[in-house]
Amino acid sequence: MKWTSYKKLEELNEHDDAALDILKRRLMFVGVVIVCFVTIIFTRLWFLQVHKGAEYKERAENNRVRKGTIVAPRGAILDRKGRELVTNRPSFNVVLVREDSNDVDELLKKLSSVLDVDISTLWEKIREAGHTPRHIPIRLLEDVDWQTLAYVENHNQEFPGIRIEATPVRVYHYGDLIAHGLGYLGEISKKELAARDPKIYQGGDLIGKMGLERLREKDLRGEKGASYMEVNARGFEQQLLKDVEPLPGNDIQLTLDAELQKAAEDLMADGDKAGAVVAMEVKTGRMLVTASSPVLPIGQFVGGISHKNWNALLENPKHPLINKVVQAMYPPGSTYKMITAMAGLATGVIDQNTVLYCPGHYSFGNRRYHCWKRGGHGAVNLKRAISESCDVYFYQVGLRVGVDRLAEFANKFGLGHKSGIEMEHEKSGVAPTKAWKKKVKGRKWQEGETLSVAIGQGFNLVTPLQVCQMTATIANGGTQYLPQIIEKVTNPDGKVLEQFAPKVVSELGPERKFLHFIQEGMREVVQGKRGTARKVRIKGLTIAGKTGTAQVVRLKQYKHLKEKDIPYKYRDHAWFTCFAPVEDPEIAVTVLVEHGLHGGSGAGPVARALLDKYFEGRLPLYQEEEKGK
Amino acid sequence: MFRIDRRFLRSFDWGTLLFLLVVSGMALVNLYSASFPPAAWGMPPYIKQCYLFLMGFSGILVILFFDYKELHFWNYPLYIFIVILLVVVLVAGNSAGGAQRWINLGLFKLQPSEPAKLMLVITLASYYSRKEVDGGYGIKEMITPVALTLLPFMLILKQPDLGTALMLIIIFITMTVFAKVNWQTYLLGGVLGGGAAVFAWFYLLKPYQKRRIETLLDPGKDPMGQGYQILQSKIAVGSGGNFGKGYLEGTQGHLHFLPERHTDFAFSVWGEEWGFFGSLFFLGIYFCMLFWGLYVAMTARDRFGVFLSFGVVMLIFWQAVINLLMILGFLPVVGIPLPLVSYGGSSLLTTLLGLGILMNVRMRRFQVGQKKDV
Repeated sequence: MKWTSYKKLEELNEHDDAALDILKRRLMFVGVVIVCFVTIIFTRLWFLQVHKGAEYKERAENNRVRKGTIVAPRGAILDRKGRELVTNRPSFNVVLVREDSNDVDELLKKLSSVLDVDISTLWEKIREAGHTPRHIPIRLLEDVDWQTLAYVENHNQEFPGIRIEATPVRVYHYGDLIAHGLGYLGEISKKELAARDPKIYQGGDLIGKMGLERLREKDLRGEKGASYMEVNARGFEQQLLKDVEPLPGNDIQLTLDAELQKAAEDLMADGDKAGAVVAMEVKTGRMLVTASSPVLPIGQFVGGISHKNWNALLENPKHPLINKVVQAMYPPGSTYKMITAMAGLATGVIDQNTVLYCPGHYSFGNRRYHCWKRGGHGAVNLKRAISESCDVYFYQVGLRVGVDRLAEFANKFGLGHKSGIEMEHEKSGVAPTKAWKKKVKGRKWQEGETLSVAIGQGFNLVTPLQVCQMTATIANGGTQYLPQIIEKVTNPDGKVLEQFAPKVVSELGPERKFLHFIQEGMREVVQGKRGTARKVRIKGLTIAGKTGTAQVVRLKQYKHLKEKDIPYKYRDHAWFTCFAPVEDPEIAVTVLVEHGLHGGSGAGPVARALLDKYFEGRLPLYQEEEKGK
Repeated sequence: MFRIDRRFLRSFDWGTLLFLLVVSGMALVNLYSASFPPAAWGMPPYIKQCYLFLMGFSGILVILFFDYKELHFWNYPLYIFIVILLVVVLVAGNSAGGAQRWINLGLFKLQPSEPAKLMLVITLASYYSRKEVDGGYGIKEMITPVALTLLPFMLILKQPDLGTALMLIIIFITMTVFAKVNWQTYLLGGVLGGGAAVFAWFYLLKPYQKRRIETLLDPGKDPMGQGYQILQSKIAVGSGGNFGKGYLEGTQGHLHFLPERHTDFAFSVWGEEWGFFGSLFFLGIYFCMLFWGLYVAMTARDRFGVFLSFGVVMLIFWQAVINLLMILGFLPVVGIPLPLVSYGGSSLLTTLLGLGILMNVRMRRFQVGQKKDV
């Protein structure tokens, strides 16, 4: 540095005004430059704050507000008398919020030792939820007992990040009762999630998977609540901004009677019977009992059924997975004879006094069709034909009526089409016609097949519910009601949203006058001296019914065997269907016992016990009238 | 030396003082919000900043007793002192974020790169005012100022603190262009500067520094890193809307979405809470202060006074522009504070001393030359 090149300090005082002015003039340029930059900055401020202000405001809100959901308590399911079938209770879960814990490893070690749980299962839970944000609680232990709950609550200082979370869970007050009808809840699947409104459902939600829980999901689920939490940049919760309470789901009251249903299920479970018990109010269509046996072990389904359990259910020869009330089809057997009789009367091919001769068989074409009673019934009228279930009588009636008209009447009583009950996967059954055979089997109808149809065998297929509906229609004088299982739906405020009202599906025309003769015949089945269901009689109650035996196989090799020696799966199904009291019918009961052999002995006692229960304390009914007669 | 003329009192720079007090007041009000809620321990930043303002104003008072031309004499000893501090900070400084920038003085941490900026202004002002060349400086005359700039530049770059180091280059260019150089110097400077920039990009810049520049060009590339900071700042300022969310009501700042909210991004807090019109008001006064500074330069009694006041104004101006453009998403995160507004003792004291020099120039505008131009 050459100091000499500088002006001396003294010289600095000597002023060159002209040079200084030139220098100062440049300051004007500088001013312009500053103005330019200020303009850029102000324009940018205007752009961000005024032009895009609303957009950034929203982004700032999204930054700071975290929405949490509060699960809504699901609606309860009650029976007709208000007994609680399914309700909720709080389940206490031990959850971990990772963002609140600085040492998860240490925490889990401590937790697993004091609560005596395997640490690897805890890690597994965390691993499963590893991709979720750190503020989302991870459930470590579900539904803990009160001791664990108390311990964790009292020692919460020692477990930073561990919290107790209460969520409502389903309580089944009657265990597996009506398991098929009520169904169960499960975690929503990806497929279900994709098909639903993302505003309502999120991953991890519970959703009805079967039965009413699924069918009435909309009513039961309620509306989730939300908590709006202010969070800081690291995600720590600062303060609660707003809390929207969840809206509980609607309560559903069923028409079913829990006590009666329980009686039916117990009766079926006694002796490990497979089959169905159906009972309905004949004058309204209200269902009282819809029991399918064996029951579905609903507990196994909650939280996902294991592969092993599922296979066991699948391979069970008694098919517990099938709701036999509506999903299983059987030949109606002799219970169909009421249809044949009605068709005969209504079409005029017989009247109530027509007598036909039964020698024990009937020859048609080049075949001989046997009566169940090898020795024959001799001369029978309609009443005896029904009460003693004479096959030969109905062969002839059926032949005169023709299969298509038989089907027509079957339809009027609820056979051959779905009833429309609120149950899943209902089968429609088969009421065969000539056209049906052509269409389904591709072959022409053989007249001989009409004989089988007339006694409820052949192509005939019905569900237990359909037989019950048929019985109810006979009992009430020819009105087919829609079978319903819901009495009312009530919202949390107690407002009734939906109230039961009988719905007529179809009504018989003038031919309803013949029903009386059929009812008479059915009455004889139980109350008559030679009826096939004399065992079902209850003192003080007049019951009308019909037994039925549905052939499973027609194999010569088993003919010579005694009934109990026939292998279970080849034994006939036993039907019994009835209504009572005859004087003023209230209830129709249908029982099907798979491989139960005989209607009277296999299914009848179940119906008897159920009627006993239903009329408990009310018997004797109409005793005076009886005496008067 | 301590000669105080009555004239000095009469010609006291009320303008700078007034602007300074208003801006400082608003800055402190903002700093309270920017460090809200107060931390559980330690002195809150706005209290510290108050003390530093008091220190700075005392410093200004002392400066006013001396004639600024004394700086011709003190220039080199001060320069050497600052360079020594810069060396010390490299050897024994406190590191933060991988850079050694501070010397812990107990009361506060000194960041010598801040006074180095002012030192460079004084040094260059002294050089250019003492050496006058017709038709602009040639290459030969530029060797000394370039060397004087490069020495602290290299030391600060080594910390590393790219932002502050580049600030020195900007000051150098601004003052040199203002002093006027001939076209050969422009040519050579352009070639050498461009070459150095290319060389630096490939060999000198650290990966994180390159990333900052890349992020600016494509903010979506790195949403949670540098781009995140800029984005959060834009959200903060933008969400202020026309009139802001209200004092102490800003969510971006208080919930820590805004990074460095009381230092580099302090003005984002103001923007969020006071909105567009509040920002216009603040920056309006802020830039008026700088225009007043230019006016001081305009009325300076001599070449040194012009260079000094011009340098101080431009030092504040460039830092403000760079800081604001960064906050508004036009520049990468470079760690340049907004003078007087951002929390930070070294920067604040440096700025106040600079403004002290400005006031000094203003006060002594009549002393020599006797030009009655105001």
